[in-house]
Amino acid sequence: MAIARITHLSYWYPNAQDAALQDVILQIEDGLTVIAGPSGGGKSTLLRVLNGLVPHFHGGRIAGSIEVNGMDVIKTPTRRLARTVGFVFQDPELQTVYDVVDREVAFGLENIAMPRTEMAARVEEALHSAGVSHLAGRRVRTLSGGERQRVALASALAMRPRLVVLDEPTSQLDPEGAAMLLDATLRLVQQGRAAVIAEHRLERLLAAANALVTVDKGSVITGPPTPPTPPTTHPIARPAPSQPGRLAWSMAGVTAGFGDHTVLDAIDAAGHQGEVVALCGPNGGGKTTLLRLIAGALSPTNGTVERRPGRIAYLPQNPTALLHRPTLRAEVAMTLERAGEPDEPDVILTQLGLAHLAGRYPRDLSTGERQRAALAAVLPGKPALVLLDEPTRGMDDAARDALTRLIAHLKESGSAIVLATHDQDLRNALADRVLRVSSGKVT
Amino acid sequence: MNARSVAAWSAACLFIVLFTTNPAYKVLVLAAAIASLAAGAGLNRMRGLFSAVVLIAAFATALNFASAHLGRTTLFTLPQQIPALGGPYTLEALAAGLSGGITVGAAIVAAAPFSLMLASHDVMDALPAALSRTGAAIAASLNLVPSVAASFVQVSEAQRLRGWKPRGPRSWAEVVVPVVLTSVEGSIQLAESMEARGFGSGPRTSLKATHMHRTDWILVATSAAAVIAFIAGKAADWYPYPTLHPPDIDTVPLAACLLLFTPVMTWRSRG
Repeated sequence: MAIARITHLSYWYPNAQDAALQDVILQIEDGLTVIAGPSGGGKSTLLRVLNGLVPHFHGGRIAGSIEVNGMDVIKTPTRRLARTVGFVFQDPELQTVYDVVDREVAFGLENIAMPRTEMAARVEEALHSAGVSHLAGRRVRTLSGGERQRVALASALAMRPRLVVLDEPTSQLDPEGAAMLLDATLRLVQQGRAAVIAEHRLERLLAAANALVTVDKGSVITGPPTPPTPPTTHPIARPAPSQPGRLAWSMAGVTAGFGDHTVLDAIDAAGHQGEVVALCGPNGGGKTTLLRLIAGALSPTNGTVERRPGRIAYLPQNPTALLHRPTLRAEVAMTLERAGEPDEPDVILTQLGLAHLAGRYPRDLSTGERQRAALAAVLPGKPALVLLDEPTRGMDDAARDALTRLIAHLKESGSAIVLATHDQDLRNALADRVLRVSSGKVT
Repeated sequence: MNARSVAAWSAACLFIVLFTTNPAYKVLVLAAAIASLAAGAGLNRMRGLFSAVVLIAAFATALNFASAHLGRTTLFTLPQQIPALGGPYTLEALAAGLSGGITVGAAIVAAAPFSLMLASHDVMDALPAALSRTGAAIAASLNLVPSVAASFVQVSEAQRLRGWKPRGPRSWAEVVVPVVLTSVEGSIQLAESMEARGFGSGPRTSLKATHMHRTDWILVATSAAAVIAFIAGKAADWYPYPTLHPPDIDTVPLAACLLLFTPVMTWRSRG
């Protein structure tokens, strides 16, 4: 049975010339619908149409019609649709209102003025459905990303929605957190709920999906849930194992932490020019702290860190926070100018598949495009030391391939590279050595 | 503890400390606020607050000492040619500055239980129904504060590594602008998330009922009594110029100030 019907729908964001969605015709049935497609293709916009955030929250122009569970979305405010459509966003930190799990899950119920006597049972039911009953009463800030996203899912489920929509819910999570969330989503579908999920990690979802919808350049193609054809790219040749160059960075007996909390304890490690060192390990294990030590952004409480002179290209955990110039080209040009390197900004923009976006305001880009934009902003020219913290987070396959090629190129040029990444494919493709950072130790 | 009783106590402290000129009572209010907060939040959690309060109070004191060249007891004199700072530095100006510093410190410590002892939802639940939507919005925005602070550290680090150097106020734009933009985007995403969960639908309810316990009522009663007694007791004013003299202390205003120590017992007894 169709829960949502979209008929000849087109949508333009405010002041946009091009339509973000073009003449979309789509019917969403019960069960699991997977939304796939490249970054910036219109997936998030399509999902926001389902609960009316587009156009009610974002404004802009809309044509055509959409009906969800018999309600005309264009005429029904989002706050009313909230009872029918639950929504889980990408970033677990930016959808939390309260600081305690139970209260957070109850937020929607409080908004619809549910009597207190019924609310507690609903909260318990939602926590159970999302598989997080054990988190009741916990402070939200003490939860891992995966736990937070499942609490967000519970918050959506508390309203007993007819349809649950998830917008790349694993893009900010480590593999363990992502697996937890996808398991919870699949359980919902088995319980008979309708769910629509936009996701790059398709393998596990497609086995349980009823339909696959590919969104690209604002148009949709509906098909059976088989893996989409990968984009045509040049195969990535794994860089030949490099002869270690000169020592690029080293640390001896390094201890570091915050206040009384020791994050890394008596660490010895080193990296060479033309070498890719990958850091793996659980969240909170110390990967980011190790990168910051190598970069010189954090001083050790004990021990010494040494690095060869030269430019450091550092991608922080939330890279899009860097972007502030009027255009993407200006963002790259600023780094090159400061480094005194003669390269043209368009070189790296082309390498990362961003040339067509060079004149755009970086913060107007989609999440995946922003991630690449931040990489373009820190990586141009010939950095001596490249430190990247989860560089493939939220990236589609094509973008990841482009980044892999760029890192291989930097390695061949003699840069020393350190990647903190959960992405096993990236490690397999590039790493000369893998260091596991866990419980304050590096092994 | 109930946020309403905490609000009553904070309001009583603020009333007395802001409306009296007498430093003896101000000192008592400051002592009551510190002792109560230590009982309720513990000394460890007060460390950061204390550092901030001492800094702000010291600045307020120094400002008056350096700018009010009044009083008869001159400690030292700077040449009149020095703009703004030149002139006699007096014991009276120092005392008046200290009194101002104590006022600022006491006001901050008296309001601190809202951040150190109560969760944002406690404060929200204590608001009248008519303000519950505003309260929810405030609670949500408070949750963004830690991420803004983290964003500032992260952006300044990353910009430094991109070659940015702090060279005067204008150069900070390269850090402040991305942090502000990120905060604004975060707020928009949070608003989107709230809207998607029915925020703004109409009157709200709350998962937890707020109850006033016996100790909460005691605190409200003593706070009200403190304010009434302080007004009725007509506390003597104090003016340090032209010659410094000790402040007068009367029994009724003194008792009013001592009532503000009530949380030392009630907050401690509630654990």
